[in-house]
Amino acid sequence: MSAAKPILSVEHLTIRFGGLVAIDDLSFNAAEGEITALIGPNGAGKTTAFNCITGFYKPDVGRMSFNHPGGKTYYLERMDGFRIAQAGVVRSFQNIRLFPAMSVAENLMVAQHVALMRASMFSIAGFLRLPSFLKAEREARDLARHWLELTGLSDEADTLAGSLPYGSQRRLEIARAMCAGPKLLCLDEPAAGLNPSESLALNELLLKIRDDHKMSILLIEHDMSVVMQISDRINVLEQGRLIAEGTPVEIRNNPDVIRAYLGVEDEDEVAAVVGKGA
Amino acid sequence: MSLATSRPNYVALLRDSGAAAVVAALLAFPLLGFKLDASARGLALDVRLMWVVYAAAAVFAGRLFFTLIIQHYGVHFVDRITRAELLPRYVPNRLTRYASRHHVGLAMIVFAVLLPWFGFSDRNLIDKATLILIYVMLGWGLNIVVGLAGLLDLGYVAFYAVGAYSYALLSSTFGLSFWICLPLAGLFAGAAGLALGFPVLRLRGDYLAIVTLGFGEIVREVIINWQVVTGGPNGLAGIERPTFFGLQLLPYAKNGGTTFADFFGLSYSPDQRIIFLYYLILVLALFTNLFTLRIRKLPIGRAWEALREDEIACRSLGLNPTMIKLSAFAIGASFAGFAGSFFATRQGFISPESFTFIESAIILSIVVLGGMGSQIGIVLAALLLVGLPEWFRDLAEFRMVAFGAAMVLIMVWRPQGLLAHRDPTLHLNDGSKP
Repeated sequence: MSAAKPILSVEHLTIRFGGLVAIDDLSFNAAEGEITALIGPNGAGKTTAFNCITGFYKPDVGRMSFNHPGGKTYYLERMDGFRIAQAGVVRSFQNIRLFPAMSVAENLMVAQHVALMRASMFSIAGFLRLPSFLKAEREARDLARHWLELTGLSDEADTLAGSLPYGSQRRLEIARAMCAGPKLLCLDEPAAGLNPSESLALNELLLKIRDDHKMSILLIEHDMSVVMQISDRINVLEQGRLIAEGTPVEIRNNPDVIRAYLGVEDEDEVAAVVGKGA
Repeated sequence: MSLATSRPNYVALLRDSGAAAVVAALLAFPLLGFKLDASARGLALDVRLMWVVYAAAAVFAGRLFFTLIIQHYGVHFVDRITRAELLPRYVPNRLTRYASRHHVGLAMIVFAVLLPWFGFSDRNLIDKATLILIYVMLGWGLNIVVGLAGLLDLGYVAFYAVGAYSYALLSSTFGLSFWICLPLAGLFAGAAGLALGFPVLRLRGDYLAIVTLGFGEIVREVIINWQVVTGGPNGLAGIERPTFFGLQLLPYAKNGGTTFADFFGLSYSPDQRIIFLYYLILVLALFTNLFTLRIRKLPIGRAWEALREDEIACRSLGLNPTMIKLSAFAIGASFAGFAGSFFATRQGFISPESFTFIESAIILSIVVLGGMGSQIGIVLAALLLVGLPEWFRDLAEFRMVAFGAAMVLIMVWRPQGLLAHRDPTLHLNDGSKP
């Protein structure tokens, strides 16, 4: 951990659903300008942790502080989901959630709603088509074009989002999240359902977002080829608890992680697997 | 196909039609078999058993006829009718294209503006056109809530009532003119929209529909029971007529004013008021339309549509669903308020009976049958659903059959609504401005 404040710091996060402890005393940090991955077997609580961070669930215990690069600190456990997004933590969804009956371009314009609404002064400047609003609208379009270009969707700008092929919908969701002006981009399994060449392109896109746009990314992913190649730090969850934290190389050789993933219980077998892996 | 070639089984056929006739008779016995007649001596029960027999016979013959047709021509014949291959699809399909829709819209406006001056236009026609335009305006207003924001509202008539009573009470109590009351009525109805919006913020779909239905009934009950203010079931009479920029549309000037006829040196005719009211609602309705077309392209309009598509995604992008829903409810309601105050000034008399649930249902049907979100579709649906029963008034109690038939036909012909088509609010690629 560097001396700089992490952009997101999760401390002692716990959430129960009835008797089930979905997340148990989870603490981890996401560093600014890095890609931090959250991995773990099915049901480990990755998406639940995401839902807590982005305000869709309220945790029972824990503090999640978001240190905005501008200097302000937000305590996410106290905020409504939409306010968290306005503060700069924007997420995507495991099961894509676009606005299917609206065009690709419109999806990206809705993502810029907060800025545009301010420019339209509660629609008054919008109705009068004041220059200030038209300028904001033009800038919003330019930003939309920029992200369409980066995600390779420029030709699809005016088609309906719901009629895009699956891989394009995934990319559109990332473009839409970026249009919302995040400081921390939270991606919930962005590679799910992508073929190998598509997930390779996704890797490049995410690295580009990190490097060219100085974006901090928090990533949940199942696809190890994505996680291992692009993550700076990896946190491994099992049954709601953090069992390992480290760089991709460290994680790859961690016996606890291998046991969690392969379900090997015998210490000798673990040693054998780790030995082979190393 | 095998049905088409085999010889019809007459016994099964008769049994089937007989069963249908029995069901029809059972239904018709309480519905058609008795009629209450109000005469000078009080209520009398008129037993009309022959009507039950007619109904059963009609169903028997109809069922037999259709079954024979199916057996003769094959199932595909019926399929083709219901799938609308034999009905003209050409027209609606062309209408879904932007350019032609634009022209049709303009042509409709020109026709509406010229309507009072055609040779065939009489008082009756203009009156009916005015009524249809009220529903067009209500449909356009409800379209903001249902079509754009996707909030199913079954109590829209409540805001219509709030508007109507606002005007009636403001003008009779404070003597305010129609033109001052109109925005106030919209404001009050919008406030009522907010009042409804708050408790239902967390609800969607069927649950929202039930609560809005309840809200509509509450407003009606309040009107019925708050006798001191609303006149209760007796309603409010003698509501002030609107003036043409201060000129009264009356045979004789009241309160030292001037009449329209005197001012322009015309002789008084009741047509003047009818035509004035027609143009008034035309302007109000077109204003509603223009407003909707404009606001769709503003951030708030896009947010409404995004909310309809996916509320959770909206939240994740920083959109405040509370504000978006409340604004949709309030703005949709204020248009009902405008329409309500027009209704009050046109009728000169309002009572709770004008604001029953069936009105909400008709307005919602207009929006749904028009093809959610389609402005021209709503006009066509209003023409069919409100126009047809009006023109079939001679049929007395069977008039509503025309309403039902229009509804069923539209759903069979175009299940997605008459003109289910949505224009994107912007184009990035072809360089054209929205």
